[in-house]
Amino acid sequence: MTTGVQASETGTDTALSPSVRLDAFEGPLDVLLHLIRDQKMDIFDIPIASLTVQYLEILDAQQPLDLEFAGDYLVMASTLTQIKSRMLLPRPELDEEGEVIDPRAELVAQLLAYEQYRAAAEELNEYPRLERDIFVRSVFPEAGEIERPLPEPDLDGLLLAFRQVLKRVGGEVRQHVFMDTMSVREQMAFVLERLKKGGIILEELLDRPGREIIVITFLAILELWREQAITVVQETSFGSISILPKARASEISASEVAA
Amino acid sequence: MSLPSRIEAIVFASDEPVSIQKLRDLLEGAASADIRQALSELQAHYGERGIRLREVAGGWQFRSASEYASVVQQLWKTRAPKLSRSMLETLAIIAYRQPATRAEIEALRGVRVSSSMVAALQERGWIKVLGRKEVPGRPHLYGTGKAFLVDFGLNTLSDLPDITELMDKDEVETTIESKETEAVEENETAEA
Repeated sequence: MTTGVQASETGTDTALSPSVRLDAFEGPLDVLLHLIRDQKMDIFDIPIASLTVQYLEILDAQQPLDLEFAGDYLVMASTLTQIKSRMLLPRPELDEEGEVIDPRAELVAQLLAYEQYRAAAEELNEYPRLERDIFVRSVFPEAGEIERPLPEPDLDGLLLAFRQVLKRVGGEVRQHVFMDTMSVREQMAFVLERLKKGGIILEELLDRPGREIIVITFLAILELWREQAITVVQETSFGSISILPKARASEISASEVAA
Repeated sequence: MSLPSRIEAIVFASDEPVSIQKLRDLLEGAASADIRQALSELQAHYGERGIRLREVAGGWQFRSASEYASVVQQLWKTRAPKLSRSMLETLAIIAYRQPATRAEIEALRGVRVSSSMVAALQERGWIKVLGRKEVPGRPHLYGTGKAFLVDFGLNTLSDLPDITELMDKDEVETTIESKETEAVEENETAEA
């Protein structure tokens, strides 16, 4: 929708600022009102020839024309040209009651009506609006019954929690022979087993004696998370992290790990 | 347990404007006149506070005062999005001229009205389909929805500022028709 080519190089001799961009307007009526009001033309006696020339110049300056966007502008161009030529025809044309028919009448009516709704729209925008100026309890940013998904923590949150657990057991260094049997896959099975009973808080899961087992359990959690066999949620930032089973996925992984 | 206090508790706890009818149902035995009296007492009580008791869309609601918008907004990261002029103009036309068809809106604005914009207004509940116009094509007739009153803080549509209807339905019809003829003529010229 960018027809925003500036008309600066066309050297128009109109009173209009040469940098009129169509995309700043809401359509042909908006452009015409701008020209009429800007140059203090009498809307009930519009100098249609001058208005048409200026309008066409603005349109010409918007090259290349995006046809989909420009359709309404082109229709107005033809309307203006038509009115202009009707004005040049020998007149007066009279209606049944002998009144002079002004070829501009319909356009003027349209312009005045549009101007009124344009003003009404501006006024509407000034109204103190709910969620912009005025607030009620708990309607912002999501209203009512919308279910809020629990946010997933990023890796940083998880590592932070892990570091806190390590710090807590830090002093308690145990002489421990690192056993071959203590594999990550084994711990994955252990974690999934624990999750069968439902979700569990990370710290609870890591509440095991010895640094090594904590490290390996943590690695197992990361691995399960990566495989999307579990869901990790943190309801508030720096809040506790919960590990939840992922219904179907966990079953499959559990059997895999067991095998 | 005074009547104003009971009403205050109900209105505070409700997440939508509470009508007098609803209050009467909840406060068995209370007369509408007494409820109205209590509401105006409460309204006076909240007069210059940060929250106000307001009558919107036919019900009563506690709302933060608009002069504190900038401080309250800081509670959330996101701001209410700005509305485009095309959206506001379409909404204004529908509000004043309902029931209105899309052709009527287009004739008054002089531009096509996109479906996505109409959908966006519908999604907010600001406009809704009232029915269909019995003319060829049976176009939808649009009117404002309850959310329009609630969100713009209006009690009824008559709270909108008066404007004189500059083009009546017939005049708009003429514009729509002449546009259609013009479009047809243009197509014919293009084809020839």
